[in-house]
Amino acid sequence: MSIRKRAADFLLQRGFAVVFAIIFIFFSVATAHFFQADNILNIFSAMDPLAITASGLALVVMTGRLDISVGSTAFLSCSIGALLIRDHGLNPVLGMLLVVGCGALLGAINGFIVVVLRVNSLIATLSTMIAYRGMALALTDALLVELPAPIRFLGNAKLGPVPINIPIMLIVLILVHLLQTKTSFGRQIMAIGNDVTVARKIGLPVDRTGFLSFVLSGALAAAGGVLTTIENGAVSPFLGDGLEFTALAVVVVGGVSLLGGRGSIFFGIIPGAFIFEMIRNGLTNLGADPYSYRLVGGAVIFAAMYADALKSGRYALRPQS
Amino acid sequence: MKRYIIPVAAICLAGVATAKADDLKPLKVGFSLDTKESSLETAWVDYLKSEGERQGKVAGFNFEWTINVANADPTRQAANIDDLITRGVDVIIARAFDSGAIGTSIKAAKEAGIPFITFDRGSTSGKPTAHVGGDSYDQAKTTGEAFAEILKKASVHGKCIELQGMLTDINAVNRTKAWNEVGKATGQYETIVQVPTNWNPELFLSGLTNALNAKPEANCVFAASDFAFPSIQAALEKAGRWAPTGQPNHMWLATCDLLPAAVKPMEGGYIDVSTTWDAYSQAKEAVRVIIAIAKHEDPKCGPDGCLAKGRVVTPATIKDMPNLWSRDYK
Repeated sequence: MSIRKRAADFLLQRGFAVVFAIIFIFFSVATAHFFQADNILNIFSAMDPLAITASGLALVVMTGRLDISVGSTAFLSCSIGALLIRDHGLNPVLGMLLVVGCGALLGAINGFIVVVLRVNSLIATLSTMIAYRGMALALTDALLVELPAPIRFLGNAKLGPVPINIPIMLIVLILVHLLQTKTSFGRQIMAIGNDVTVARKIGLPVDRTGFLSFVLSGALAAAGGVLTTIENGAVSPFLGDGLEFTALAVVVVGGVSLLGGRGSIFFGIIPGAFIFEMIRNGLTNLGADPYSYRLVGGAVIFAAMYADALKSGRYALRPQS
Repeated sequence: MKRYIIPVAAICLAGVATAKADDLKPLKVGFSLDTKESSLETAWVDYLKSEGERQGKVAGFNFEWTINVANADPTRQAANIDDLITRGVDVIIARAFDSGAIGTSIKAAKEAGIPFITFDRGSTSGKPTAHVGGDSYDQAKTTGEAFAEILKKASVHGKCIELQGMLTDINAVNRTKAWNEVGKATGQYETIVQVPTNWNPELFLSGLTNALNAKPEANCVFAASDFAFPSIQAALEKAGRWAPTGQPNHMWLATCDLLPAAVKPMEGGYIDVSTTWDAYSQAKEAVRVIIAIAKHEDPKCGPDGCLAKGRVVTPATIKDMPNLWSRDYK
């Protein structure tokens, strides 16, 4: 094999990693403060809610389905929790557990619609995305729901120099990763994503597994919402707005196939979420034109996806001899 | 004799007063609200009524309000406006839920010979008789001018982080334009980094955190709106820059709107200046326009409508500023 061909193969196999490295090196060289420990921690800290939400969404995507209601699920769950804490003096720890429970319940509704009523997951979660957001806006009167000051301080809590939300994110992602790789539930998810007909034929609990993937997606979206809420000190009407699409982009850029049956939580979601936050952070460091953020973000997604698509389909794209 | 004169005089005066009230011409105004879910809408209604009474008396009108709420439903709003037309109101004023759908109602009102005023949110689907709203350009201009004065008095040259709004929103575009024009004109501050937030509090937090890290020399922040102030506060706390004015690590702060989330921080001296999104001024302007239209006079609006200017507020003036809805309405 020639050097050129080997280089091309390397680029195809490691397309996302190459794009990631190029961007990272560029920002490190071009700006004074990007490649500093504090800033890298900032990036990790800012990406936490997105990474946790994307890890739950990835479980659904691995079964070959979609859940685009994650942003609205986070918003509605957090609105309920924040209102109970603010207006009824609910214990904050109980409040957080309640939020995650609400998320699981909203995920269960999605699962019921998809698995029991047999509605296409995109259509089902599109409708719940609209409905959940509408309910949350009605509950909060579309106003900011501020948290009491003692809870707000948690948002800036640190373990040494490390913001506390980073270890929380790592623990959650490791648990979800272990669930996906080391349990029969995780293997069933991958089997369903690879071929649902075969999975059903060999007796796997396809419906139960699919339903549980939505429950977990809802619970993790709510958990991501809890982190966002604590960091911001309030639930805003914008909470989770557009999160479903960013989370989906993270999932796909992180190497989880939209067709299901392929991908890794820990090694896919973390770099996937990091690259999105890194772009925003790097452009701010560069003092870039505000209009360029979306353009650069879109271009990077395209580059990573194109490289991934070439990697996945390159043999099929070649003219057959 | 005296004991007869006083009661007779009192009766005569009362009679004159009653006659004057009777002289006021009734002016039936229909107000269609898209929603009534925050203290801003409540403040608008109260200020419209009180201004209607005050300005109406001077102009010879007795305002009779009919108010309906569409609960964020454009179809409901169209039906509500039809009701107002059927009731035969003299003027309709409406805050559109959907700028693209309100045109149908404008057309229906015009066909019935009723003048139609859009309020706060304009129409993209039909030309109303007049539009009344806030002046977002002037807001940022007056904020910038007052901020430049504050910095001048403190002998500080501002190196500011600008938290922009959604750049497809004309208010956000106007504010960034005015803020930077004043900075250039006065030379008292400069924007060293612009952070787009899309009006999303999460981006206010992460954007300001990133900017503070990227530009440690920054000593001031301009927020195009302070509705997400808790996120700004969280970012400043994270960076150790959350301190009231007068303390060495104080970050000079200028904002637009002075919404409820920003009232306490301003009272505490964390925000140095803001210009209000002024429910009172807007209501006052709306009543002026209604009266002008009722008198068949030109309301003399600008090309973008009759825009009410906000008022500059500082920690020194916030307590005594009259009719400040974000402070007074909970």
